[in-house]
Amino acid sequence: MMLGYIGRRTYHSAISVIGLLTLVFFLTRLTGDPSALYLPLDSSLEAREAFARLNGLDQPIHVQFLDYLQNLLSLDFGQSLRQNRSAIEVALEAFPATLKLAFVAITLSTTLAVIFGALAAARPGSLFDRAVSLISLAGASTPDFWIAIVGILVFAVGFGMLPTSGTGTALHWIMPIVVLMLRPFGLLVQVVRGTMISVLASPYIKTARAKGMKRRRIIFGHALRNSLLPVITVAGDLTTGLINGAVVVETIFGWPGIGKLMIDSIIQRDFAVVQSTILVTAIAIFIVNIAIDLLYVALDPRIRY
Amino acid sequence: MRRTSIRIIAGAVAIAGWTGSAAAQNAAEVNIVLSEQPANLEPCGTIITNVGQILSRNVVEPLTIIDPASGQPTAGLATEWTQTDPNTWQIKLREGVKFQDGAAFDAKAVKFSIERMTSGKVTCSNMAKFGDAKLTVTAVDDHTVEIKSDKPQPILPTLLSVIMVVSPNTPADKAVNDPVGTGPFKLSSFTQQTVVLEAFDGYWGEKPSITKASYVWRPESSIRAAMVETGEADLTPSIAIQDATNPETDFAYLNSETTAIRIDAGFAPLDDVRIRKALNLAIDWEGLAQLFGADAQRASQMAVKGINGHDDTLAPWAFDAEKARALIAEAKAAGVPVDTEIELIGRNGIYPNGAEAMEAMMAMWQDVGLNVKLTMLDVNDWLRYLQKPFPEGRGPNLLQMMHDNNKGDAAFTIPIFYSSAGSYSTMDDVALDKEVADAMAATGEDRTAKFKAIFNKVHDDLAVDIPMFHMIGYTRVGTRLDWKPDITTNSEIPLANIGLKN
Repeated sequence: MMLGYIGRRTYHSAISVIGLLTLVFFLTRLTGDPSALYLPLDSSLEAREAFARLNGLDQPIHVQFLDYLQNLLSLDFGQSLRQNRSAIEVALEAFPATLKLAFVAITLSTTLAVIFGALAAARPGSLFDRAVSLISLAGASTPDFWIAIVGILVFAVGFGMLPTSGTGTALHWIMPIVVLMLRPFGLLVQVVRGTMISVLASPYIKTARAKGMKRRRIIFGHALRNSLLPVITVAGDLTTGLINGAVVVETIFGWPGIGKLMIDSIIQRDFAVVQSTILVTAIAIFIVNIAIDLLYVALDPRIRY
Repeated sequence: MRRTSIRIIAGAVAIAGWTGSAAAQNAAEVNIVLSEQPANLEPCGTIITNVGQILSRNVVEPLTIIDPASGQPTAGLATEWTQTDPNTWQIKLREGVKFQDGAAFDAKAVKFSIERMTSGKVTCSNMAKFGDAKLTVTAVDDHTVEIKSDKPQPILPTLLSVIMVVSPNTPADKAVNDPVGTGPFKLSSFTQQTVVLEAFDGYWGEKPSITKASYVWRPESSIRAAMVETGEADLTPSIAIQDATNPETDFAYLNSETTAIRIDAGFAPLDDVRIRKALNLAIDWEGLAQLFGADAQRASQMAVKGINGHDDTLAPWAFDAEKARALIAEAKAAGVPVDTEIELIGRNGIYPNGAEAMEAMMAMWQDVGLNVKLTMLDVNDWLRYLQKPFPEGRGPNLLQMMHDNNKGDAAFTIPIFYSSAGSYSTMDDVALDKEVADAMAATGEDRTAKFKAIFNKVHDDLAVDIPMFHMIGYTRVGTRLDWKPDITTNSEIPLANIGLKN
């Protein structure tokens, strides 16, 4: 039953991915002629024509598309115009850096949001609840580029505690992760808190209290499990956003991820890399969505596919 | 238990931090932070800033080197050059030079390198400097080559500065990311995060003080400046004016870029010289200079001082709104449609405060009675207006632009801007075309005089454009380095020229 569901989702997602790649292929070609960006501004018309010929850009667009499809069948995703190597290799090299960043940020922010949101919901209106709401709303609303730059000025330049940017040591992870998790944490705390308040008012919680069950067990053992479905939905949505690339964090902290690669490739008209990055992220998002569906089943036995 | 865990975590973090900072401390190693990731390391693309700053004169070396002070070619891998007829030059090559892979540097290697650049099998940005010239190379003997062009090349020795000689073992039919040259450094690694160069023991010249250079890239100027301040990096070649706050480490230098507005002279009212002069006179240049920093220099021509053909005596237009209004009134009386809307096309991010400069200029032109409207475009759209063929259906327009010439000769400026065939030119003036052709064919003092005459003519008589400022770059250099930027810094940072204090 479950395998059948996964099979159907895979089939539908494959159709979506092919449609997406087709759309991306034609949309990228609408952005203009890459030779204007690749060659020096004072290049001759002859040089620009030679560039187009060398890279197959002189062919009619439908011929280029058929070539692209034919190459896809043999898993040839094309060459990066900028980097002189296979486009899929470029995309796959950048993707793990984004994936690791996204995984750590979303795991930490979800865990902390569940703890703080649940505790805040246990005593609505208390000082703790107000403090959590203030911090979470500030986290969700403050622009990440501002936090990132201020963080660098304070913790790297001011106190010299952390490196400004880059990768390589455990310390390099701290600022990118903190900046990246602020927004998901802020949103998720609000979701957990709202759902928990409504669940804690349910009759079965009142019954549990009447039976003398401990508060911690009521909150984390009974109410939380029933509050998690909307949290997972929102966390899943945030995860797919992060998998698409944390462009601001990647740019400011020099993190070699797929988000910055995608934006740079769009700006530079590196068509094959744009297509490859979108293919990789689309497949990853499809896998995340399947995982979320399976989590629903694990958390709520009433759900069947 | 809890205390033990905290101690373990604190210890791990401390060790991680120590490992990171220790890497930046090795005395003869430098870390350089660039503003952009080099897309590739193809030696044929060293005129591209972020490729040239890593490769040029570090990994690969040119046949000649342009002296930044005089703009004249000096010996590189070529030691002497003689013009045997207008189309032919004989080049003597340096002896005792080896490539980093052990291959010998000789006439065959030079022939191979030039043929690789001109074959069309590799996209070669550097060849743009040669225009559409066809070159034929012959090895005369082991250390002499003859270069013949299908058209006269009076400045071939200058052009040889973009010919980067690569090992004959380099693939001739595809671009590479692992260049092998004759320079004092060889490529050690190139990843998405860093490029590392290490000293080449078999280098023919003087041994550099630096043994290893690591390059990283951060687009944010404030981050690059912070990296030098904290000691994570030793040098960053390009920071914004607002980040250049420390006189001890931040150096301003004339960076060979000139900002300007191109006037599309093909449309009324811009086809009238009075309107073009009025456009130049209507700008409060002192006020506008506030946006470009105290060190920026007012420009009267599209090439900076030190470039052959630059005329030091040519004075820039001065602000005179009354005279501008009078010229517009005179043109109007003569039937010129001065009320026609003129589109001012700016480019987002072209240089710091570029959009603010366009808004200010638009307001100043409106103030003298011209109907100017600003449109800001992204680079892709803007390029359509910069290069021929220009977009169909465009009207009278002014284009924000910036031009870089650090190659020593006005030949890299004048033809593209002012001859009717020039890729940026909106001019169609037969007399000017002839003057440009004559200047391009001339040599020595005659060449200099002819270029100067053209700069004077397009400024005083034709007012074909609106030169704004010769731009200033700011570089932050860590206190342990002995090095200062110059006009070539935007295209190369030779590590051999960097000294270490103490």
